[in-house]
Amino acid sequence: MYGFEALTFNVHGGYLEAIVRGYHSGLLTAADYNNLCQCETLDDIKMHLSATEYGSYLQNEPSPLHTTTIVEKCTLKLVDEYKHMLTQATEPLSTFLEYITYGHMIDNVVLIVTGTLHERDVQELLEKCHPLGMFDSIATLAVAQNMRELYRLVLVDTPLAPYFSECITSEDLDDMNIEIMRNTLYKAYLEDFYRFCQKLGGATAEIMSDLLAFEADRRAVNISINSIGTELTRDDRRKLYSNFGLLYPYGHEELAVCEDIDQVRAAMEKYPPYQSIFTKLSYGESQMLDKAFYEEEVKRLCLAFEQQFHYGVFFAYMRLREQEIRNLMWISECVAQNQKSRVHDSVVFIF
Amino acid sequence: MDTYLILIDSLSSALRQGWLELASARHSMGASRVNSALFDLKSHHASTTLQVENAGMDIELPCFRLSKWASSDGPEKGAKLQEDELLQNKCDSPRLEHHEVQDTRDEGGVSSVTPNNHARKERFKSLSMFGTLVSPKLRATQLSFETALETLVEISNVRASLLRAYDQVQKDLNTTK
Repeated sequence: MYGFEALTFNVHGGYLEAIVRGYHSGLLTAADYNNLCQCETLDDIKMHLSATEYGSYLQNEPSPLHTTTIVEKCTLKLVDEYKHMLTQATEPLSTFLEYITYGHMIDNVVLIVTGTLHERDVQELLEKCHPLGMFDSIATLAVAQNMRELYRLVLVDTPLAPYFSECITSEDLDDMNIEIMRNTLYKAYLEDFYRFCQKLGGATAEIMSDLLAFEADRRAVNISINSIGTELTRDDRRKLYSNFGLLYPYGHEELAVCEDIDQVRAAMEKYPPYQSIFTKLSYGESQMLDKAFYEEEVKRLCLAFEQQFHYGVFFAYMRLREQEIRNLMWISECVAQNQKSRVHDSVVFIF
Repeated sequence: MDTYLILIDSLSSALRQGWLELASARHSMGASRVNSALFDLKSHHASTTLQVENAGMDIELPCFRLSKWASSDGPEKGAKLQEDELLQNKCDSPRLEHHEVQDTRDEGGVSSVTPNNHARKERFKSLSMFGTLVSPKLRATQLSFETALETLVEISNVRASLLRAYDQVQKDLNTTK
C-alpha cells in the first residue's frame, strides 16, 4: 500500500516526528477540560492553565484578564512550536510546513484589505493578524485599490502569487469582490496543497488526501449555507468549490442550487461519511453543524497519529492545537458572560 | 409595572443571547473575520433612527418611535411605514409580541415578525463589513440585538407613562393636602 518510508523517513524526518508527537502528548486532557468548564472567572482559567504547557505564556498577564488575551497567548505557544519545527526541517518537510500557514496568510491579506476599505488604521489591523500568516510586505497591502495593484505591488513576491491568476481584475475592491477573492484564493491554495501532497506520495499522500478532501467538502457546505439568501449567483457559488473531495463533482452540482438548509441536508445525506454528521441535527437547524464538522475533523486528525513515517502528523498537530485554542476561547467566553450552561455547545474534546 | 419588569427581563435575556451568539459566530468564522477592527469608519446614513414625539411638552406623553432599516439608496417610505406600524402594534401588546417573537424564533430560527425584502437586504448590507458570506450565527446575533433595541424603545415608552402616572399621583396628593 505505501512505499518504503520505514527505511528512510527517520534520516531527515525522525527527529521532528518525535518532537511533534511529544507536542501532541501535551494537548489538554479530559480532566483539564472538566476543571476549565467549572471555572467561575477568567483568573480561575489562568490558574488551571498554569499547570499545563500554557502556564509560562499566561503567568505574567495581569488581572483582569480578557478572553482575547488568553487566545493570543495560547496562539503564541503554537507559533513558537511551529517555528521550532520549521527551522529544523529540511525539504520537502519545510515546504509542507509552510503550506500549513498559507490559509492564515490569506485571512490576513483579506483582513488588511477589508479594514483599509473601511478606513481603519493599518497598525490596528496588523495587531489583529494571525502571527502564522505574517509576511514582510503585508503592511503595503493598504495602498492597493484593486486586485491588479494588490498583486503587482505586494503579493507577487509572496507564496500566494500563483493563486491570484484566477482572480486578478481591475475592478475596485468592494465587499463582494473581497469575499470572492478570499474564497478563490483559498480554493487555489487547497488544490495546490493537495497536488503537492500527491507528489510526495506514500503515507503522506494517503493521509493528507483524506484530510484535505474533508476540508474541501466542509468549505463547500459552509459556502452553500452562508450564501443562502445573498446576491451570490449559483454559477459564482459553484466556482468557489474546490475541484476535489468526496462531493466533487456531483455533490457540488446539488449544493450549488440549494436554497435552504434542508436542501443542503438532502444533498449531503447521499454521502455516508456526512450522513452521520447530519443525522445529529434536527430539520431546519444549522447551529450545531459547525460542532459536528469539528468533531468529525478531530476524529480524522487523531487517526493520523496512528501511523508513522509521514508528514500528516504535522498538519494534524497544528489543526488539533487550533481546535484546542478554539475550545479555550469558547470556555473563556462562557465563563466571562456567566453562561456556563452553554459551555458544551461548542467544545470539542480531543483524545 | 408588570409590563415594565417583563420588558426589563426580556431586554436582559435578548442581550445575553446576542453576546453569546456573537461569541459563537466568532468561534465559527474565526477571530480574523469577526473583530472590531472591521467596523466601517466611512461616513454613512444611519440605518435605524429614534424619533421622539412630544418631547418637553407637559400635557402630552413623550412617545419614542424606532425607524428601522432606512434605505441608504433612497427613502422607501412604504417599507418604513409598514415597519413602524409593526412596531406600534408591538408597543401596544408587548407581552404578547415578546412571546410570539420568542416562540417563532424557537421554531425556525427566523422571526416571523421580520417584514420584507427591503429590511432583509438592509440587514445583509449592515453585516457586509464582516464579509458577504457570513455564518447564520452572525445573522442570529443581529436579530437578537435588533430585538433588544426594540425592547429598549418599548421600555422607554412604558417608563415615560409610569413617570407620568407618578407625577399625577404626586400632584393629586399635594392638592389633597
